[in-house]
Amino acid sequence: MTDSVPTPAVQIVRGEIQPWTDYTGYRSPAGGEPLLALLDDLLPASAPTALIVGPHSYPVVELVAARSAAVTVLVRSVSDAQELRAAVPAGHVTVITGALDGLVDVPPFDVVIAADGLDRVLGADSPALDWPARWAELRRLATGDALVVVAVENEFALTGLYDRRPADERHGDDEWRPLHDDAARPTSPRQVAEALGERVTRLYATFDAAGTSHTLLDAAAAGSTRPGRPGARFAVTGLAASAAHTPLLAPVADGADAAARAGLLAAVAPGWLAVLGSGGAIHTAYASLDSGGVLLADLDEAEWTLSVRDSALEPAGRLPDTESVETLLFRLAAAEDVPGFRALAGRLGAWAGLADGVVLLDDLYPEGDGFVRGLTRPAGEDEAAALLAAAYHRLRDRLLRAHRRHPWPPWMTSTDDLVTTWLSMSGVADDPGAVKRGREIADGLAEPAADEPDLRTVLADAAADRQRATELAGKVFGLERTMRYRDQSLRTREQQIRTMRDELRKLRNSPAMRLHEVSRKVAKVRDPRAFARALKRRILKS
Amino acid sequence: MHHHNFYYGQQHILARYCGLDDEFPPRIPGYLQHGWNVGCGWNPVHEFFDGAWRYVWSDAPRRRGHSLGRRNYAVTGAPMLYLMDLEPDLGKVPDAERRGTLWFLFHGWDAPGMGAKIHGDHARLISEIKETETEPVTISLYYTEYERAEVRRSYEEAGFEVICFGKRGWNYEGTDRQFLYKQLKAFRRVKRVASNRLATAIFYGVAAGCEPAVYGDPMELEGDNPLFGGQTRIARLWGDMLGKQIDLPTARAITDDELGRAWVMPPAEMRMLFDWNQRD
Repeated sequence: MTDSVPTPAVQIVRGEIQPWTDYTGYRSPAGGEPLLALLDDLLPASAPTALIVGPHSYPVVELVAARSAAVTVLVRSVSDAQELRAAVPAGHVTVITGALDGLVDVPPFDVVIAADGLDRVLGADSPALDWPARWAELRRLATGDALVVVAVENEFALTGLYDRRPADERHGDDEWRPLHDDAARPTSPRQVAEALGERVTRLYATFDAAGTSHTLLDAAAAGSTRPGRPGARFAVTGLAASAAHTPLLAPVADGADAAARAGLLAAVAPGWLAVLGSGGAIHTAYASLDSGGVLLADLDEAEWTLSVRDSALEPAGRLPDTESVETLLFRLAAAEDVPGFRALAGRLGAWAGLADGVVLLDDLYPEGDGFVRGLTRPAGEDEAAALLAAAYHRLRDRLLRAHRRHPWPPWMTSTDDLVTTWLSMSGVADDPGAVKRGREIADGLAEPAADEPDLRTVLADAAADRQRATELAGKVFGLERTMRYRDQSLRTREQQIRTMRDELRKLRNSPAMRLHEVSRKVAKVRDPRAFARALKRRILKS
Repeated sequence: MHHHNFYYGQQHILARYCGLDDEFPPRIPGYLQHGWNVGCGWNPVHEFFDGAWRYVWSDAPRRRGHSLGRRNYAVTGAPMLYLMDLEPDLGKVPDAERRGTLWFLFHGWDAPGMGAKIHGDHARLISEIKETETEPVTISLYYTEYERAEVRRSYEEAGFEVICFGKRGWNYEGTDRQFLYKQLKAFRRVKRVASNRLATAIFYGVAAGCEPAVYGDPMELEGDNPLFGGQTRIARLWGDMLGKQIDLPTARAITDDELGRAWVMPPAEMRMLFDWNQRD
């Protein structure tokens, strides 16, 4: 079956590639905390034999190795195999480099993991196997009742549909054959289920950040959720992580909302992870938390049960499967229903749980007269007014960044006036300190800016800039007109002053005014004798 | 664009195929593969200038090159196939009269100041050839070995006819433009083609109607770059082409793949591909 390569502990089969790596390219090997958590739940305590096909992170390999008596890892890159061998030196782990179709004459395995999918398992010298043929090659290596985990990349993912690069710029060095121009590749949850057969016991919609798992959401739960609900939030957050490195035509969140309304969120996920056969109990969703760790969620009728893996810390508990406060507020703003907005803001301001920590309105769900905090709970202790101000600053940022409809004029949105207004709707009187502190908290919660803004945002920003330029030109016109009126006014007043001066001059030269002048001077003579002497001296001199 | 394109007179053959001057053939706007290759069409450290096209014989080098981040590939089929089309009768004898084995010794390579020699046990190889071949054997040495008297003499003294098809040239100088013509003529008169490594000549021979064989000490090449996997990789991928008796239909199918027979194109298409049409 095999022969040796320079590194003795690595075996080699037909179809290896060098120089090549699947571990440091544009896409990481399959890994990440949610995937590890799922496999940890799923894998038996000790399988006799396990096979890992394709690039997987070292922790995944180590986890499978810890739960199997003998593990074989197949990667197509020689250098990847050598580095994997050095990183995982355990004796019961066999590392093979080569192509999937080159691994022949081996007994079938009890556990088969292909969580990276079947797109990075062939070499440049392999035959042009389409997806079903690659799946047949993988199935050949599994026993009849094996536990199989296999990923499928989705051609119809929102991240692909919204990718703004033309088709000839999307393919990577690993697409020496156009892998995705494959009519037989399954591209919907139903097609995946049909292609994989009746042994599929669970299908997850997967969301990854360049290969590293971010969120796994049960495909049925993803299909039944609606915009603003916790299930949709799992998906939207995952999609944002997936789209972070892709130049986009438009924000994926817009499309995600539409897909959620149509019940198609599972159909537009970046991929799927299928479980064939039986294993340990698994959850409805596994999601990375910004604070670290993995959130586990189970949907039961109209309620989610939440916990954090390997942690007794919050959040833990239950969550109603309802629309978030942010979704409701956005809807009211778009409808310009200010009274409705005011009423909901009033309820928020009166909510006793406000002071318990930072509020994310997109992860806050109404329940009765109060609200329930959702999946993420950032740390932070501040006064209730500052916390609410932070929530409103964030709401404002997200409202404007998405160019959503709303009834407030631009001089309110470009200043703190909007937040101050919303605070007053919530019953918080003018409190500049809270507004300022709220801004600081919101800045700390802000999502990292995308590498490149999406095209729709760029166009909307450009349109907004053009409108601003038009409005500023209008303002200049108005100011010039005002100045013209002012000039007119000044000229009128000057004319009035000139007229008054002429009239005054005429008045001064009148007989009455001269008599008045003489009389005034005569009235100043207080000592007639001295006046007579002075007059006499002047006459004598002259 | 690159003097390698002149090797073995390949550029000249393609120019003739296109109805153009084959003494001073027009330039090719890129690099033309000059030998069968287990990699991207060239040696692992070959330099390429930006924007150059890479003209390869078959699709496999294109795929491997793609994996190396290289684009602008065009698959043309091997120039030898075009020569066969141009010279359908050159050296041809009736199949029943084809006789003997044309045996190619794996060769070193030539470049002023940086060539590489082969090292191996020629005596043992000669014994194995004698044990295997039942008809007269003609040993073909590339000039790098032909001009090494100790190598040439060892085969002559063993009773073999020893020939050399000429030089491929260097920097547009010394290219034997009849190299492939002479080789084709030789192939068409023998029954078998053999070598101690799977190499271009084996595929040429099969394309010319010979039965192939690959056996014997593959020998070592000075400074051989193992980047693409070396002989074990050849054994994994082209195992059906190794051995003293090889299934001929299989060998022909593999040869068609490796020489890119399906990619052979008409002259008008090639003139456009190489930008050889007059524009003024």
